[in-house]
Amino acid sequence: MKRFKHYDACTLDEAVSLLKEFDGKANIIAGGTDIVGLFKDNVFAESPEALINIKTIPGLDYVQEEEDMLKIGPLALLEDLAHNKLLKSNYTALAEAARRTASPHIREMGTIGGNICQFSRCWYYRLPNNRFNCIRKGGKDCFAEEGENRYHSIFGNVKDCLAVHPSDTAPALIALEAKVKTTKRVIEMADFYQTEDAKKFSILDSDEILIEIQIPRPSESTKSKFEKFAIRKSIDFPIVNCASKVEFEGDKVKKANICLNAVFVTPYVPKKAEEYLEGKALELDTVETAAQLALQDAKPLSKNEYKIEIAKSLIKKTLLACK
Amino acid sequence: MTEKCQQDGGEKKISMKINNQEYNIVVEPHWTLREVIHDKLGLTGTKEMCDHGACGSCTVIMEGRPILSCMTLAIECGGKVIETVENLDIEKHPLVETYANNHAMQCGYCTPGFVMTAKALLDRNPNPDEEAIKDALEGNICRCGTYPAHVVAILEASTKLEGGK
Repeated sequence: MKRFKHYDACTLDEAVSLLKEFDGKANIIAGGTDIVGLFKDNVFAESPEALINIKTIPGLDYVQEEEDMLKIGPLALLEDLAHNKLLKSNYTALAEAARRTASPHIREMGTIGGNICQFSRCWYYRLPNNRFNCIRKGGKDCFAEEGENRYHSIFGNVKDCLAVHPSDTAPALIALEAKVKTTKRVIEMADFYQTEDAKKFSILDSDEILIEIQIPRPSESTKSKFEKFAIRKSIDFPIVNCASKVEFEGDKVKKANICLNAVFVTPYVPKKAEEYLEGKALELDTVETAAQLALQDAKPLSKNEYKIEIAKSLIKKTLLACK
Repeated sequence: MTEKCQQDGGEKKISMKINNQEYNIVVEPHWTLREVIHDKLGLTGTKEMCDHGACGSCTVIMEGRPILSCMTLAIECGGKVIETVENLDIEKHPLVETYANNHAMQCGYCTPGFVMTAKALLDRNPNPDEEAIKDALEGNICRCGTYPAHVVAILEASTKLEGGK
C-alpha cells in the first residue's frame, strides 16, 4: 500500500486545521472502505500525503428527528440506517438505498458521509498504479469514450469525463430534498456535486468537511421508494439506480421528485418528468410517459444503450410503488 | 480511545483486546488490521483473499460488528475489542461442530470469514430464520459453492444455543 501519514482528529476544528496544513494533499477517512482501496491500488496520480481520521471525533453518528427535520451525522453507519425504524417508515427511499449499498460488512463499516463523498468507480480511473492517466488525473483523454463503456454515462460527458457517480444513497437523499451542512455552508444535496473541477467530485473544498445531512420531514401524504439494478443482489455497485418521492393531493400528484444515479457524471434529476407528473394520477400510462420524458435526452455510448431501458423501468417501478 | 488524539502522523503504539487477551503493538499507518492480526500477531485463522473488501474472507468481529479486517487500518483500532475465528475454539461455540457435521466447507479458505459473520449474527439474533441468515452472509463469497450448507449449519448452531440456555 502507498505510504501516508495518519492523524486522529479530536475535534472538527482540529480536522479542518490539519486539512489546511496539508493544503489539498490530505483526505478525510471515515469508514475507509473506499479510500483504503484507493491507497492499496495506488490510484491517485498525486497521492494524498495524509489521512485524517474523524471517527475519533465524538458524537457524529446520530440519527435524530427534530421538529420538521431529520438530522443525520456523517458517521452514521449504513447498516444502522438500513434498519432504522423511523427511516424505514418515513424516509423509506433512504433506508432502502442504505440497505442495497455494497455488502453487510461494508455497511457495518461504511458511513453515510463517505457514501456520498466516495470517488469514481470508473474502471479506467481505478486501474491500479494509475495506468490510465485520464482527465480526472490531469490527463487529456477519457478512455471510456472509445473503450469499454458499458457502465458509463448515458447523458453525455462533463469536461470529457464519462464516469458515472456510484452512490446508492445520494439519489435517495436528492429525491428526499435533503440539505448538506458542511464546516462552511448549508447547501441543497442536489447541488452537492460539481462538474467544474475534474479533480474532485463534490463541491467540498480541500479544507471543508461534511458535518450533517438534513432531510425535511415528508408530509403524511408522501411516499418514497428506491430501486437498484446490479448484476448481483449484494456487493455490486449500481448499473442504474433510482429514488422517487411522491406527494399526493387526493389521488393526484402534488409534487414528484425523481433522481437516477450511475447514469451520468453526477446524480441525474429528470426535471421534465417531475414537472409532467404534477397534477396527474399515477397510472401505468402516466408513469410510462414520465419515464419516456426522463430518458428523452439520453445519448448512449457504443456499449450502454441497454441502460436506458433499465432506467425507464426503475423510474416506473419506484413511482408506482409510491401509490 | 485510550490514546491521546494528536500525534506526529507516523507509527503509533496501540492496544487492542483480541479474543479477551490484551495486545500492545506499534503499528505503521498503512498496516491493515488483517496484516497485524495474521502477520504480526500470528493469529493465522483470519484469511486474506481479495484484499479489497469484496469477499468477506478476512471478517473479524469488532465491537460486536462483523467487519473486513483487510479494509480497516490497524492504527484506527486502538482500544477496540476484537474477536477472531480462534475464539470460537476457545469458547467451544456450537458453530465449530455444526460446520464440521454439515460439511459447510470444501477448500476451507473462506470458512473463517463465513463463521465469524455467522457468529456476529447469532450474537445479535440467537434464533435467525433462513432469510436472516442469507441476508447476513451476503458479503461472503465461496468459490467452492458451499452456500446451502452454511444455512443448515447456522440453523443447527442456533438450536444448540437455544438448548443451552
